[in-house]
Amino acid sequence: MRALVIDDSRVMRRIVAGTLTPLGFETVEAGDGRAALDLLESGVEVDLCCVDWNMPVMDGLQFVTAVRANRAWRDVTLMMVTTESEHGQIVRALAAGAHEYVIKPFTADAIRDKLQLLGLVRQEEPA
Amino acid sequence: MSSAIDISAFHGTDPVLAIAEEVFTAMIDGEPGLVRPWTGDVPPLADEMHAWVDVHGPFPGRVLVSTEAGTAQDLARALLGMGADEAVSDEDLVDALGEVANVVGGNVKALVADPHALGLPVVDRARPATRPEDLLHSLPLDWRGRLVEVGLWTLP
Repeated sequence: MRALVIDDSRVMRRIVAGTLTPLGFETVEAGDGRAALDLLESGVEVDLCCVDWNMPVMDGLQFVTAVRANRAWRDVTLMMVTTESEHGQIVRALAAGAHEYVIKPFTADAIRDKLQLLGLVRQEEPA
Repeated sequence: MSSAIDISAFHGTDPVLAIAEEVFTAMIDGEPGLVRPWTGDVPPLADEMHAWVDVHGPFPGRVLVSTEAGTAQDLARALLGMGADEAVSDEDLVDALGEVANVVGGNVKALVADPHALGLPVVDRARPATRPEDLLHSLPLDWRGRLVEVGLWTLP
């Protein structure tokens, strides 16, 4: 599995990537939505995009809208990872085509739980 | 922002403290968290660093996180899981403090009536120009014995 981590903060990209790697993801990174689209358009294939909302050049909502408008990327799972926590913003992102929504600050467990719900990470076997 | 957030309306609890505790616990320290309200006199910051984000909308405001450069370096090390002796690049230092302000500010934004957008974080050695009468809330925090201040300001 490969994940594209999109955030204008390099530190946050490293934190998100560091959460995904132990879950079995190879990660690639982009600093804004436009750079992420460029990667996808260049043929980089990913299973998951973790998308910040507030970024320069192209924000996360614009990125989600652009990805959902292209049938070639219909199988890509989109998960917002953002400080935007108002109900209206969550509804907007989901309506635009995001599959899941994680509010910063998050824990590694929160990311894992969302990915399990999405079927991208196996449920833990009961002890 | 002053007419959009009334801290006294939270029945004796400080919502900004709750946000700061959650941010530091989730992102930096893990449970049970190492950030506490500062007790005693608040000393002046030396070798200051400031990071802020602006909340746009009918009640524009600014969330400002201030600390000393050495503390900001330790924050960056903690965020990135670096060892105490590892050097922090200037880029990581600015990025880490900005992200702390961004996450605190984003959650404070949810307390504001009808917020429109959150600006991108700005980090500077100089405190941004503010008027004392625009200070809405000041929260000095003790993080591992070091001072980290969170301030909410209205913007003209």
